[in-house]
Amino acid sequence: MSRLFTNNVNSFNVSNHYSVADDRSEMLAWFSTLEPRIRHQDIRTRRAENVGEWLLQTGEFQRWCDGAQPEGSDCAILFCCGNPAVGRTYFK
Amino acid sequence: MCSDTSSLVVDRLCDKAKEQSMAVACFYVDFAAREEQSPANMLGSLLKQLVGGLKSIPDEINQTFQDHKKVIGGRGLRVPEIVKMLQAVTSSQPTFICVDALDECAEGNRLEVLGSLRQIIESSPNTRIFLTGRAHIGGEIERHLGRRVAVLSIKPNGDDIVGYVRMRLSRDTSLDAMDSGLEDQIIKSITKNIPET
Repeated sequence: MSRLFTNNVNSFNVSNHYSVADDRSEMLAWFSTLEPRIRHQDIRTRRAENVGEWLLQTGEFQRWCDGAQPEGSDCAILFCCGNPAVGRTYFK
Repeated sequence: MCSDTSSLVVDRLCDKAKEQSMAVACFYVDFAAREEQSPANMLGSLLKQLVGGLKSIPDEINQTFQDHKKVIGGRGLRVPEIVKMLQAVTSSQPTFICVDALDECAEGNRLEVLGSLRQIIESSPNTRIFLTGRAHIGGEIERHLGRRVAVLSIKPNGDDIVGYVRMRLSRDTSLDAMDSGLEDQIIKSITKNIPET
């Protein structure tokens, strides 16, 4: 019995008898009630075209996004600082 | 503006994810939603996006879920359990986690989120983190994530401002007198006041 159990644990092909779609959505709902993807869609549809594109061209962003350099750990985190209303202050 | 930048970055990453194997999760902190945006709910929503994109759910996560289901009425997840599951999903593929407006999070919650992110990058070196917020939290981020952080300052340039004004004017339905001449005039008068960067 115990041997059988060990075999199961070490197998990469253990089938999940309970992996049905209902279970999956129940699991996702259990993780969190929040839906940041919906907020993302909302922000991106209101976003002015091309605004902020310059940031994607910076070395900092590209190193963070594409960098897999050996010294890599230095570019794992990118912090963009600014005032949330910085764009609006020009129109007051 | 910060949220716009974050959404732009998330879109760029999602485009990249179509071409190569990687995962993207985002979160937008909102001061007005402080009550419901607890660290467990925030981190849980990152987990939800990452697991939602997987073809098959890792055994470890399935097991945690089944264990919780046995408890009558289910049981809420705690941060350490979520971090463990995040570590499991981020270890299998390069993962990009973006959190917008981190400074709008209450300080205690913010530190708990940063501490959790630190545990994730330490166990899954292929994880990258993008954060936005006011400059004053920069030092705190560096301290709590335990490594050097690349910093970019978001200042709108002339093109950004012109793009923003055009977008606002095009969506304003109350402007009967608007024509392209007037629009150009408005843009000219605003842009002459933009300081050189």
